[in-house]
This record gives sequence, structure tokens and C-alpha cells, in this order.
Amino acid sequence: MMNLQNDKMLRSSLPKKESSRIMRSLGRVIRMTVMYVLLVLLALFLMGPFLWLLSVSLMPGRNIFSTPPAIFPTFIDFDNYVQVWQFMDFPKYMLNTVIITVLGVVLNVVLASLTGYPLAVFRFKGKNVVFTLLIATMIIPSYTAFIVHYLTIQGLHLGNTYMGVVLPGAVSVFNIFLMRQTFIHIPADVRDSGKMDGASEFRIWWQLVLPLVKPALAVISLLEAMSFWNSFLWPIVILNDTELYPLAAALTYLNGQFAYNFGWIAAGTMISVLPIIILFLFTQRYYMEGLAGAVKG
Amino acid sequence: MIKWLRSESFTAWAFMTPGLLLLAVFVFWPIIYSIPLALTDYSVISDTHFVGLDNFEAAFKDRNFLISIWNSLLYVLIVPFLQIFSILMAVLVNSRIPGIKIFRTTYYIPVVTSMVAVALIWSWLLGNNSVVNYLLIQVGLISKDIHWLSDSNLALYVLMFITMWKGLGYYMMLYLAGLQNIPQDLYEAARVDGASRWRLIVHITLPLLKPYVLFCTLISLMSAIRVFDEVYVLTKGGPGTATLTSSLYIFQKGMEQFNFGYASALGLIVGAMIAVLSIIVFRFNRKGGVNPY
Repeated sequence: MMNLQNDKMLRSSLPKKESSRIMRSLGRVIRMTVMYVLLVLLALFLMGPFLWLLSVSLMPGRNIFSTPPAIFPTFIDFDNYVQVWQFMDFPKYMLNTVIITVLGVVLNVVLASLTGYPLAVFRFKGKNVVFTLLIATMIIPSYTAFIVHYLTIQGLHLGNTYMGVVLPGAVSVFNIFLMRQTFIHIPADVRDSGKMDGASEFRIWWQLVLPLVKPALAVISLLEAMSFWNSFLWPIVILNDTELYPLAAALTYLNGQFAYNFGWIAAGTMISVLPIIILFLFTQRYYMEGLAGAVKG
Repeated sequence: MIKWLRSESFTAWAFMTPGLLLLAVFVFWPIIYSIPLALTDYSVISDTHFVGLDNFEAAFKDRNFLISIWNSLLYVLIVPFLQIFSILMAVLVNSRIPGIKIFRTTYYIPVVTSMVAVALIWSWLLGNNSVVNYLLIQVGLISKDIHWLSDSNLALYVLMFITMWKGLGYYMMLYLAGLQNIPQDLYEAARVDGASRWRLIVHITLPLLKPYVLFCTLISLMSAIRVFDEVYVLTKGGPGTATLTSSLYIFQKGMEQFNFGYASALGLIVGAMIAVLSIIVFRFNRKGGVNPY
């Protein structure tokens, strides 16, 4: 962005001589080339491992630890996917993961925007107390929360249920602050106009304010979707029934069972990561927008 | 009473009640309850006794615990590298050349994938006879296989590398948001005054990026000390105690040996250390006088 504007400025201030124009466009080409080379190298560094996993998943029967190691696919065959799909009940695990993720995301979005709203716009007694308590939990993180969570979940008889998996992560101080920061930037007119029309505070929040903070909601949704979709340890602790496991937990089981069937494990891993990558591709525009707004405050 | 029901106070508390209730149960209560828990030998299996400060005394004599704290502190070394590289990446992708959005998205993919998958891929890549060793031998950087994850002098640094690899995209996006929030007219005004590109970076970009740097440093510091997933999935603390971090050790004591009382005491000790550390960072933050917007 900066570079382009710089060029424009330069162009308007310099005399239009043919030679200097060629020199400058040459410099531009070189600079663009260097940039693309850097961008591609970085992409290889960060995406390469996934592409390699993809290539392993497409080559049934190849041992990855042979010399020389299989880096590029020499043939393409979807057998691994077909077999691992038949062996492991993927639709079931995927449904489990979707239930956990949707529950977690909805609870987080609703609770964070409900709790953050008064902290941004209302004047009420006890506001400072709530604030101090919230900030205190950010400074004093609990390291052993999982122990107390475990006891609480058992005490509520939520062991072996999805609610038990989701509840401890259903609301986070970080999300509440993020929503508060976002609500603060909403002009007061929005609330005033709602009041003029006689709308209740809840309706104002739901119908007038929430539509304006969609990017922030997208940030929370995506971050929480990521963490619930990928969670494996807590579900294993809470769920006794392996039939209820989400994908990531089921995958650790697959790894333990077939340590040497690389193709299967690779295919299973690809199946488990694709949905969240696809979700990210579709929401990333809002996510970027929301992130820009959220950190500013 | 009726008047109060219509007041802003009532509405405010009505909005916050569900969230605060859950926070009370799952955030405040664990912090409070771990204190009495730490003074007992609670273990689910056998009878519970009040043991006073025995757990704390035992903790400071527990060699593995001290090693785990040291390893967690070593892990913090990734913070500056992570921040510098992600700032450079953000500067690189903060342009409008064709295809740039595809690159940004690509860099974020390690962030969204699960640590289980990432750990699996890297454990394969780093295995003996596998891709990384093969490529390094071909290039001539090493002459024989390196046992990346089973060499006790290397394993922790390899884990740190993987954490960094997975986190770069996350911080890049935050810094990119920061860069794009800088008003363009600042640059234009400076350029009209004849400032060089270097001076633009030093006098405009860096100062305005500072709050982001502090924010990112704080969250990466916290997550570095709390590092768990990659250690749990890849090395389980091994070889020996080479990669035993404090959260892994607390988890082992708690969820694997069901020594809830002792684990709570360890958690309180580490928690107190983090609290001191974050108060220092907060103080530093205030002294820096960060209030650019």
C-alpha cells in the first residue's frame, strides 16, 4: 500500500523522461519479484507440511520413513480415504464435533455480547467491581482450573455429556472485553433512537446494536469454533464413552491404533482439518475486519 | 422496587447475570477453591486430610517441579522471535499486490488447524530418515540424522519451533490489523515534509504499532508459560524431563495420578509467579505511556 502510493507521488513529481521511466518500471519489477519470492517461500514454509501430509494421504502403502523419503506423490490414489472412512465412523465423530462446536460458539457469542454490553453503555452501581473482578482473573490465571472444573462437572451430573464438555469454556473474560471494546464505539444515537420508538433495552441490543457488531461476533465465532473443533484433552477427560468423542480426540485414538499405517492416519487427519479450514476461508473477510476494530480500543 | 426494576441498574444486571453466573462457577470458583484444596491431600480415591502447608513444602523439594518451571521459563524465549518475525510478515503482506489475500490466508492455516494434526505432521517430518533430515543432508547442512524430538538437548527447542510455526500467522494478522489502522494521511503529511521511508517507519509506524506489540507480547508470554498441547501430544515431557513444562507436570499430578491437593498447590505457586510477571508487564506498559488513539 505504502509502496504504491510512494510510486504515485514520485511519478507526479518527476519529469516524464523515457529513460527514467524504464529505470523505474525495472525497479518496480525487481521489487515485485523479490516480494513474490519472499511470499512464496513463506507459503512453502507454512503450507508445505500440510501439502506433504496431503501427498502422504494420497499414496497408499508408502512408508514415509523409507530412504529417500516420499516427498511428492508419485501416484494418486484415494484408497486411504475410502478405507479409513469405512474403518472409522467419520460421520458420527464429525456430528459430535459439530454439536460441541456449535454449542460452544453460540454460548460464547451470546454470553459475551450480553455481558459486555452493559459494561460499555449502561451506568449502574457495581460496574467498577465487575470490572476489577474481570481484570483480576486475567492477571491471576488459574492453573488448576481443570481440577475444579472436573469436580464441578461431576457435581452437576454433567459427566459424559456435551454440556460438560462445553460449559467450562462457554464464557471467557477475553471475549467479554472484546465485545465491550466494540460496543463502546457504537454511537449513542443508535440507542437513543430505539428508545424514542419505545423499544426495550433488550430489543435495542438485539435488533439495533448486534447487527452493527457483526465483525466482532465473527472474530469470537471463528476463534471459539477453532478451539472447540480442535479440543481433544478436555473431551477425553469428561467423556467416558468413546462414541461421543469429537474428531480430534478420536484421531489420537486412531494414531495409537495404527501407528504404522501412515496413509490412513494422514487421510484421517486431512478429513478432520478440512472443515475448519473451509470455515475459515468463508469467514476470513469478516474476521479481518473485526480484528482491526477489536484491538484498537 | 418497581422504580428499580425499570432502572438502568436492573437492566444492566439482567444482561450480565447469565454470563457472570458461569464466570463465577468456572472462572472465579476454581481460583478460590484451589486454595483450600491445596491444603489437603484430596485424591478422589482415599480419605481427605488437612495437611497444612505440606504440599508447598514438598513442591519446593520436588526436583521435577523445579525442572518444569525452568523449562516453562525457557519457553518464554520464543516471545521476541515470534513477535519480530510476525511483524516482518505483517509488513510484507501489508500491500495491495495481486494475490496478496491468498498469501495472508495461507499463512493463517497453521493457526486454525488442531495441535493434534500439527504435532502429527511435524513428528513425521522430523523422524529419522524422514523429510527434514533428508533435505538437510542433501543440502549438506548435516551429515547424519538428527534425533530432533528424542535428543534431550534439542527436544524443547524443537517444540518451541513448532509453537512458533503454528503461531506466526495469528500475530501477523493482529499486526496487520494494527498497520492498517494507521491513518494514511499521517504518512502523506510526513512525505510532504520530505521525510524518507526509513523515517516514516521509525517515527510513524513503530510508535503507532506499539500498543499492538505490547498486547501481542503479553498474550504470547502467557501462552508460552502455559504451553501444554504440543508438549502433551509430541513428547509427554520426555525424553526424561527434557520437555517437562509446568502445566504438563500439574496435569500429570492432577488428572493422571489424581493427586488433586498437590496439583492445586503447584498450580497456586505457578499462578503466583505469573501474576507477578504480568503485573510487571502491566506496569511497564503504563510507564510506556501508550495512548496513541
